[in-house]
Amino acid sequence: MASVSEMYDVGWEEMRDKLRKWREDNCRNSEQIVDVGEELISEHASKLGDDIWIIYEQVMIAALDCSRDDLALTCLQELRKQFPDSHRVKRLSGMRLEALERYDEANKHYDAILQDDPTNTAARKRKISILKAQGKGTEAIRELNEYLEQECLRCVCCVKMTHPQLYQSAYCFPCHFHSYGKAAFCLEELMMTNPHNHLYCEQYAEVKYTQGGLENLELSRKYFAQALRLNNRNMRALFGLYMSASHIAASPKVSAKVKKDNMKYAAWAATQINRAYKMAGRGTKENKCSMKTVEEMLESMQITMS
Amino acid sequence: MGEVELSCRAYVKMYLHACLFPRCSINGLLLSSSPAGGPVCVTDCVPLLHSHLSLAPITQLALTQVDVWCSQTQQRIVGYYQANACVSDSNPTPCALKIADKISEQFDNAVLLMLDGSKMSSDYRVPPIVMYERKDSKWLLKDKHTIMLRQWEETRAIAGQMLESGDHALLVDFDSHLDDITKDWTNQKLNTKIAELASPANGNI
Repeated sequence: MASVSEMYDVGWEEMRDKLRKWREDNCRNSEQIVDVGEELISEHASKLGDDIWIIYEQVMIAALDCSRDDLALTCLQELRKQFPDSHRVKRLSGMRLEALERYDEANKHYDAILQDDPTNTAARKRKISILKAQGKGTEAIRELNEYLEQECLRCVCCVKMTHPQLYQSAYCFPCHFHSYGKAAFCLEELMMTNPHNHLYCEQYAEVKYTQGGLENLELSRKYFAQALRLNNRNMRALFGLYMSASHIAASPKVSAKVKKDNMKYAAWAATQINRAYKMAGRGTKENKCSMKTVEEMLESMQITMS
Repeated sequence: MGEVELSCRAYVKMYLHACLFPRCSINGLLLSSSPAGGPVCVTDCVPLLHSHLSLAPITQLALTQVDVWCSQTQQRIVGYYQANACVSDSNPTPCALKIADKISEQFDNAVLLMLDGSKMSSDYRVPPIVMYERKDSKWLLKDKHTIMLRQWEETRAIAGQMLESGDHALLVDFDSHLDDITKDWTNQKLNTKIAELASPANGNI
């Protein structure tokens, strides 16, 4: 099979730079990283200087993703030789054991790190990931809560600023295990520190909608609207606004005024949706199909509302 | 209950959906264009989500839209499929059961299909699927002998070939459609490709 450098006509510097870009952008294109990284390591190791260590780490993690334990082990062994007492390398050993589903051994590695350094976030996160992989949802959420509480006690501002990733993964776990209240809590924290992020608003709105009940529906409508203010092309928010407003308008528990207002919001959203689909449908035959489907859907929902 | 037949097109699209998002839980709807009565023939599928499967709004939206499309194209929603992110776990999640329940309200013989991630590698010769049917308000494992995949070897070969040539990147699920509404969640292009590969005029198989 042709080498990466032959196929794409690139030199080793370009390959190295590409790997750096993927690191900085936090891309998880593991197959590509393995292809490029493996070639770089085997043929140009001597030219990479100190960069080689971070490349070994990046390629190792990608190799685990692609079930290339041979490659992962090679990288790990080089790192172990160079950094024999490093917690970071110990964590990588743990990750390899996780990939091989040897969870007890992996946990031993992480516990050893935490004994030395109880504040090691990375090790805590890995332990929680293991619980999730084992399907132990309740325990995973409990550990996550404990961790978040402890961090909050130590330094509220610090944590929220420096651990958005933790909160991000935090709201995915509870959703996965149907703990919507906890998911909502995590999203509230994220929205506070990232008020301009339309995705958090929209996700929060979705969680509230899922929790159900009139109060949650109204909250969900407000947050779908907020997401749209931040990004008027967020289709999920637009549809969400339409659906939440429609459901509120159709509820027998609301006053005439609330019903009227929500029908207005729903009508506005419907217009925007139709307009967006008309624009998207220009030219291609396939999109006319989704345009027609959406039109009909909006019409049919109108009938049930009035 | 009765027999269920899974068409090449439905299987290949489900398979490619799972391969496109290997680290996510994915789900979708199973459709039939056959007349009611007799064995359930799953002729097509619509890939739905690859993120936040248990959140309601987008699922409801997708169900409604697919419903409308089905009535425009003489098809029916006859089932639901899901593949869990955790490869070793092919049990239906609460959200899978909920959606399948909803579908069975409209169609008595609805099926719930779970893709078994641990059996999806190319050296597995059996279809990596587990099917459930509804009996007395519970979802029970269906007897394997009532599940049919005509020309399984051919279907398997097509799925493998399309994965190799990167065609799974062409698949559009409802999630991707919402990110870019010019993308077609009915996957007409992919359907055409599958039909070409399955055509007896194609000398390969």
